[in-house]
Amino acid sequence: MIATTLSERRVRSRGSLIGLAVIAAAGLFLPFATADQPFLLMLASHALIAAILALSLDMLTGNTGLLSFGHAAWYGFGAYVAGLLSKSVSSDIAVLVLLTLAATLLVSGAIGAILVRQVGKTFAILTLALSQIMFALVFVFSDITGGEDGLQGIPIATFFGAQIVSPTVWYAILLGALLLALAGALHIRRAPLGRAWLAIRENSERARFIGMNVALLKLISYMISASLASLAGVLFVLFNGATSPDLLHWLESGKVLMYVVLGGVGTLFGPVIGAVVFTLAEHYVSSFTDAWLIYFGALFVLIVIVAPGGLFGGAARLATRLSARKPGRRAAQ
Amino acid sequence: MLALSLVLNGIVLGSVLLLFSLGLTLIYGVGRIVNFAHGALFSAGAMAGVWLVASGVPFGVALVVAPVAVGLIGVLIDWAILARIRDRPMVDSLLLTFGLALLITGILYELGGRNVQIMPVPQVLGGLISLGGISLPAYRVFVSVLAIALTVALILFLKNSKWGLRVRAANDDPEMGACIGIDRERLMHSVVGVSAALAAASGVAAAPIFTAHAVVGDKILILAFMTVILGGLGSLRGAVVAAYAVGLILVFGEGYFGGQLALMLLFIVVMAMLINWPRGFFGEGRTE
Repeated sequence: MIATTLSERRVRSRGSLIGLAVIAAAGLFLPFATADQPFLLMLASHALIAAILALSLDMLTGNTGLLSFGHAAWYGFGAYVAGLLSKSVSSDIAVLVLLTLAATLLVSGAIGAILVRQVGKTFAILTLALSQIMFALVFVFSDITGGEDGLQGIPIATFFGAQIVSPTVWYAILLGALLLALAGALHIRRAPLGRAWLAIRENSERARFIGMNVALLKLISYMISASLASLAGVLFVLFNGATSPDLLHWLESGKVLMYVVLGGVGTLFGPVIGAVVFTLAEHYVSSFTDAWLIYFGALFVLIVIVAPGGLFGGAARLATRLSARKPGRRAAQ
Repeated sequence: MLALSLVLNGIVLGSVLLLFSLGLTLIYGVGRIVNFAHGALFSAGAMAGVWLVASGVPFGVALVVAPVAVGLIGVLIDWAILARIRDRPMVDSLLLTFGLALLITGILYELGGRNVQIMPVPQVLGGLISLGGISLPAYRVFVSVLAIALTVALILFLKNSKWGLRVRAANDDPEMGACIGIDRERLMHSVVGVSAALAAASGVAAAPIFTAHAVVGDKILILAFMTVILGGLGSLRGAVVAAYAVGLILVFGEGYFGGQLALMLLFIVVMAMLINWPRGFFGEGRTE
């Protein structure tokens, strides 16, 4: 029994490594393929930011089952905090990332401590409300955040004095951040912390009975998730050079949810792929129709009804079923 | 004097909120669905009302026709979409109504909801009414009275009719309700229909105050969510008290600190309340 789980785990970890390698290879190959089309590289960079954001939500929902309908709150929080800091403190990317993450951990810890004590529906409602509050905050302090016009004129990011301007370098930074985050997420999933989270997701009452500190574990998940979303925000604002309140709008939260639902909750790779696919699809659909919100909403509804496991989840189920059909394969491993 | 006028305006907002939140509470009670699309239905009602009035229909008729139409759309939505996920986990219903909110908002955008549309106040209700030395637009008094009347009517109907009995039975225990022969499908169709009609009715009634566009319902949805959390999810009398509490907090916040900070103040109040009383004012909110 133990032997099977161990070998299964080894197989799964090999699968994750292959997945990581595939994403890295595809990501590294892309700049060469788009050398003469700078726009495509920019689109790909935005897709990478979306992928980090999707991963951040999956760190929460996939691990502990808590569904956030306002994840854009932390994305926008990171973008605005980093944008304001880069104007006032330093334009060094490492300093900005560290300071913003510290701020995010502090704020998300305080808010999360109350949020994670709520169950399912109340949590969902409050997360949506939180994002609306963050949205409103931009307008309360419109003299420093720029209000409706957004935060403009953010200085070019530097790294130990060297300015980061080349789109290819930016692309590499974003790809590196995504791969690091993905590797970290995969590692945590197999570490005791990730195992404890899964126990909570499957049955939080039982987890509590065997002595787990459910509230604390959920809070850790929430804070990690918020920090990763905030990191996506930092990278976005530095890459883009400006940010607008749209980043905090519930439509943005809806998009993040869509990435995760489209890709399959809890699969980590799924949301990343979902984010890339969706970002590209959004760009091409909205270039020939301005009613893309209708298509977006309809697709959302359709996926929830037809494929609740998401596209990746559906594919994974199919793969399991196919491999289960081959007799003796499991025993051979 | 400022305080008194704020109290009156808080009651007006609270009444609209009450009418709107009742639909949320109803659909939650029977179907255990948190309806993220409720705000989009509010916008749909407001836009339909403005369109009807603009094409020559008297305000009083629009106030009936728009909610009935949106109510029928609600029945259609339940029959075609919500019925597909009846026995799925709670998460799916949240995601589904969220997707519906996106879809309906998208449709409203295409129907002209990108621009703010103004609904003129009907002439009969155009004047000012003075209450205790404070003058208040007559229309606001009318909206409050209408909302309260509709709420009382709904509560009486729930208490005294066969339909109300079924709704209350399903609210207490859906499975047991199904066992004693309540057709859950038909009941849900009617509940979603009534709930959508209530959202639309508050949308039309509030249109002369809040105007009408595709996302006019967003803010009121958040306020209504705060209301149902304060009152306890699924608690009817909790919603009544909480709607006025939220209305007063928001109007006082706006009066003393300005519009957007009021929303923050409300959020802080709700969070503080949740630390100690997660089940709402009367402790009858569900926490499943």
